[in-house]
Amino acid sequence: MQASFLFNHGHHSIFTAILNGLSIGSVYAIFALGYTLVFSILGIINFAHGAIFTLGAYFSYTLTGGAFGFNGLLANASLPIHLPFLFALVLGSILAGIASVIVERLAFRPLRKRGADPLLTLVSSLGAAVVIVNVIQYLVGSEIYTFPSDIYGRLPASINFGTVERPIAIRTVQIVIFSVSALIVSILTYFINFTRFGKALQAVSEDAITASLLGINTEKFITFTFFLSGFLAGLAGTLVGSSVSIAGPYFGIAFGLKGLGVIVLGGLGNIPGAVLGGLVIGLAEAFVPADYSGYKEAIAFALLFMMLLVRPQGLLGRSVIQKV
Amino acid sequence: MSQPLLEIKNLSVNYGAIEALQDINLVVHEGEIVTLIGANGAGKSTTLKAISRLVNSAWGQILYDGREVTRLPPHQVVQLGIAHSPEGRRVLSQQTVLANLELGAYTRSDRLGIKADIEHQFLTFPRLAERRNQLAGTLSGGEQQMLAIARAVLSRPRLLLLDEPSLGLAPQIVQEIFSVIRHLRQSGTTILLVEQNANLALRTADRVYILEAGRLTLTSAAVELLRDERVRKAYLG
Repeated sequence: MQASFLFNHGHHSIFTAILNGLSIGSVYAIFALGYTLVFSILGIINFAHGAIFTLGAYFSYTLTGGAFGFNGLLANASLPIHLPFLFALVLGSILAGIASVIVERLAFRPLRKRGADPLLTLVSSLGAAVVIVNVIQYLVGSEIYTFPSDIYGRLPASINFGTVERPIAIRTVQIVIFSVSALIVSILTYFINFTRFGKALQAVSEDAITASLLGINTEKFITFTFFLSGFLAGLAGTLVGSSVSIAGPYFGIAFGLKGLGVIVLGGLGNIPGAVLGGLVIGLAEAFVPADYSGYKEAIAFALLFMMLLVRPQGLLGRSVIQKV
Repeated sequence: MSQPLLEIKNLSVNYGAIEALQDINLVVHEGEIVTLIGANGAGKSTTLKAISRLVNSAWGQILYDGREVTRLPPHQVVQLGIAHSPEGRRVLSQQTVLANLELGAYTRSDRLGIKADIEHQFLTFPRLAERRNQLAGTLSGGEQQMLAIARAVLSRPRLLLLDEPSLGLAPQIVQEIFSVIRHLRQSGTTILLVEQNANLALRTADRVYILEAGRLTLTSAAVELLRDERVRKAYLG
C-alpha cells in the first residue's frame, strides 16, 4: 500500500517531498533541540519555548525593516534600518536568546532556589508563554506578517534540480532552511561532544551537584543553556516565518506542541534523538498528499502515538533518561 | 602551631526541623590526615557537605586557609583548593573514565600538567587505565571509588575530603585505596576522612574526631584512641 502511494506521486515528486520533508524536519530539529537542552539540564519542559520562537520571528522581521500593521501600540512603526536577512536572522535569534534568559531569571530561577516541585516550574513557564504572547499582541496586534519576497537578494525564488522537461523545483527558502539547520546541528554536536565546555554541560545535565563539586559553575551553565535554547527557537521562528509567514502572536503555540512531539519521539533529553525525531516528523508530513494537508498534524501525531506504543522511551531514548 | 588549613567554628546544620549538626568545632592542620568517625546518621557526611557548601550551615563559620568560605557557592570552594570525593562516589556514569578525570581538572588550565596528572592517576590505579574509554557507569564499585578519588585529586587540592572510601568494597581493594590515601598525604595533600570502618580510619589518621548524633563527643590523637578500651568497645568491636 505504501509503495503504490509513492508510485502515484511519481519519481520527481517523491524527490520533492523528501527535500521538503528534510527542510521542515530540520527546523523541527533545531527547535526541538532547544527544548531538549533545557530538559536535559533541569528535567523540565519549558513551555515558553514556543513563545520565544514567535518572539524571534518578530525580532528578525523588525530588523529587516518590516513595518507593523494597523493595530497595537506600535502600529505603522518600523525600524529605520533594513538589515540583510541573514544578519537579521542571527541578531533576531540572539535577542530571542536574551529573552529566554530573562524568562529563566523570572520564571525558573526563583522556584529553583526554593527547591520547588518541577511541576510548578512547568506552570510558571506556561505563564511566561502567555505573557509573551499577550505583550506581542498588545504591541503589534495579531495580523499576519510576511517577510519581503526579496530576502535572499539575487538568488532565484526556486532552483530546478530536475531537467527542463521534468522540473524538480525546490524553493530557495527550503534550501536555506535546511543548510542553516544542518550547520547549526553540526556545530552543536561538535561543541557538546568534543569541547571542555560541552563536557561540563553534559556533567551539569547528568548530575548538577557532582558538577559543582568539580568546580563547575552550574548556574552559569543553566543561563547559557537558556540562551542557546532561545537562540535556536529564534532561528526556527525566523526560518519558518520567512518560509510561510508570521501568523500572529499565537504562531509558536502549535509549533511548540509539535516540538514536544518531536522530543518525545526522539527520546526526552536526547540530542541526536531530537534531530532524528524532527526529520521523521518533517518527512511524514511531507508525504501527506496535498488534498489531505489539513490533516498533516493529525497524521504526524498519530505516527508519534503509534511509535510510542512500541517504544515508549522514544526512538533513541533509553529506559532511563539519557544525555547526549 | 601555625594557622590551621581548615577551621570549623560552632557549625550547626539543619535539615528542616532536624538538627543534623550542633555546634561543631573542628581543626585540620596542613599535612594531617584527620578522620571523622561515628555511627550512621551521626552527621559525618553533612560535615563534609557543609565544607564544600552543598548544604547551608545555619550558624557558624568555616575558615579555609584563614579565609571564610561559609557563604561561597560550591564551585568557588573547589577553586580555592578543596576537593570532595562524595558519598556514593557520584561518578558521571554516562561519560568515560577519561572524561571524568578531565572534568576533575576542570578548574585548571595547564593542559600539559593535566595530561601528566591523568597519566599519573592511571599509574596509581592501573584498573582505571585499562578502562579509560569505558563509560564510568559500567565500572565496578571499587573502580568507581578509585575514579572518584582520582577525579578529586586532579583538581590538585590542598585539602581533600573523602567520604566513606571503603564503603561496600572488598578488603583487598580497601587496602589498595588506603595505601593511595597515605601516599597522597606523603605528597603533601591534607586529608579529612569520613569513615565507618573506625579501625582502618584510626590506623591511617593522625587525629580523630568522634561524632555522635550531630555532636562532637571526643577528639584525640588516633594512636591513643586505638588503645582506649571504651572506644574499642564502641567502635572497633
